[in-house]
Amino acid sequence: MQYALLIYENEALYRGDDGRALDEIIAAHQALAGELAAKGILKGGSGLKTTDTATTVRKTGGQHALHDGPYAEAREQLGGFYLVEVPDLDAALAIAKRIPLGGDGAVEVRPVIDED
Amino acid sequence: MKTLDQTAREAGGRIVAALAATFRDLDLAEEAYAEACARAAAVWPAAPPLDPAAWLYATARRRALDMIRRQNARQRLAPDAPEPEATAEDHLASDARLIPDERLRLIFVCCHPAVAPEARAALTLRLVCGLTVQEIARAFLVAEPAMFQRLTRAKKKIAEAGVSFEVPGPDAWPERVEAVLSTLEVAYARAHEDAAGAGPHAGYAREMLDLTAVLTELLPQEPEALAFAALVRFAEARRPARLDAEGAMVPLSEQDPALWNRALIRDGDALLRRAARLNRTGPRQLRAALHAAWSLRRSLAEPPPWSAILALYDLLLDWREDPFVRINRAVALAEAAGPAVALAEIEALDGPRLADFQPFHAVRADLLARLGRRDAALAAYDRAIALAPGPAERLWLLRRRAEL
Repeated sequence: MQYALLIYENEALYRGDDGRALDEIIAAHQALAGELAAKGILKGGSGLKTTDTATTVRKTGGQHALHDGPYAEAREQLGGFYLVEVPDLDAALAIAKRIPLGGDGAVEVRPVIDED
Repeated sequence: MKTLDQTAREAGGRIVAALAATFRDLDLAEEAYAEACARAAAVWPAAPPLDPAAWLYATARRRALDMIRRQNARQRLAPDAPEPEATAEDHLASDARLIPDERLRLIFVCCHPAVAPEARAALTLRLVCGLTVQEIARAFLVAEPAMFQRLTRAKKKIAEAGVSFEVPGPDAWPERVEAVLSTLEVAYARAHEDAAGAGPHAGYAREMLDLTAVLTELLPQEPEALAFAALVRFAEARRPARLDAEGAMVPLSEQDPALWNRALIRDGDALLRRAARLNRTGPRQLRAALHAAWSLRRSLAEPPPWSAILALYDLLLDWREDPFVRINRAVALAEAAGPAVALAEIEALDGPRLADFQPFHAVRADLLARLGRRDAALAAYDRAIALAPGPAERLWLLRRRAEL
C-alpha cells in the first residue's frame, strides 16, 4: 500500500538562526530519504517552502478567488511530505516515527487511493 | 449435543478470528459467520452435526469464499478466488481442533492504536466475544445506532488504512500490548463502576473474565496481562458483597469478606504469582496486589490492611503521578495518619481539574465530616451526589449525608 506522510511543524522553528536548523533538518531528511529510496520504499515526496510563499485558490459558488497565504492559519503548517510504498499501516507508522522534526510537530499518515 | 447458543459462546470468537485472519476483512468474517449461524438454526434441529463448532467454521468459510467470488464476478476485476479444497473442508467439518486460533491477531487488530480508543473495546467485545451491538451499546451507555456507527467507522478505518492482521513484531510489541491492556481496562472499569452489577453489566463482566482468560493463555509471558486478569478476578470476587440489602454501595473496608468468592480470589492469587515470577513489575501488578491485600481479609473482625494498602499506593505513585491514586491513597492515609493529614493531601490536588470527579468529592466529604466540619462536608456530599455514577453510590452517599 502507498501512504502519504504529511509533515506538520511550526515553520517559525527554522527562521532567524541563519538557517542552521533548516540545514540540519534538510540533511536529516536527505539521509532518511536516501535510505528509503535505496530500499525501494520511497515513491515521492518533497519539502515545501514556507507558507508566506503560498497562494490559495478558493472556489466558492463557481467563482475562483485568490488570496495570499495558506489554506488555513494554524500553529503548525504542512511543511513537506513523503510518499512511501509499504506492506501495511504499521510499517508506514514506523517510518513516520523516524521522520526528523526540529521540535514539536506531527506526521499525518494517509493511505493513498488505490488506482487498481 | 451442544446448542447453537452454547457453540457460538464457546467457539464464536475463535471462528470469527480465524475467518478474519484468512480473509483480512472484518466485515466479511462477521457476515459470513452470522450467515453460518442462521443456517445452523435452520438445519441443526433436523440434522445435528457431529462437531458443531467445526460445522459453523466450515460453513462460514464457504460463505466467505462465495461472497468473495460474487464480489469479484461483479467487479470483473480480479480472478475468481480458488475453490476450497474439499479434503481440508472435510477435515474441518469433523474436527473443531483444526480451527486455527487467531484470536490474538484479532485482538491486536481491534486494539490497534490507530483505531479510536472509544471503539477499540467495543470492537473487541463484538468480534472476539461475540456480544451483540445492543449489548455493547448498553454496557457503554450509548444509543445502539451510535454504537453501530462507531463500530462501522472503526472497521472501515482498519480496512482502508491498511491495519496489519499480523501479530506485531518485537519493536512494536510493548506499545501494542499496552494498547490492548489499556483498552480492556477501560472496558472493565465500565463494568465495575456499576456496583449493582445487576443490570446490563452482569453478563459483560463475565465476558471480561473469559476475555482475560484468553489473554493469559495467548500472552503467558506478559506479566501485566496476567496481572490484569488477576485484577478482574479479585474485583469480580467481591461483587456479591458490593451492595447491601437496600441496594446501597458497601465500601471495600465494610464489605463482609465471607461473601467474597474464594475460588475467584484463588485464581487471582495464582495469576498474580505467575506475573511476579516473570520479574518485571508494572502498574497493573501493583493494582492487583492492592486487591490481593484486601482479599487476605477473612472476616470483618480482622482489621483492614491499611498499612499494606498505603505502601502499595506509594509504590503506584512512584510509578506515575495520578490524582485518582492520590484520592484512594487518602482513604488509607486517613486511617494510618488521621483525617487531617489526608484532607491536607486531598486539598493540595488540582481542585478545578477534579471538579467533576465524583470520588474526589466523596472522599473529601467523608474527611470533612470526620473532622467535624459539617457545613463543608454537606456541600461536598451534595457535589458528590450530583455526580454519582449509579443508584448504589447515590444511595450510599445520601445515607452518609443524612448521618451528618
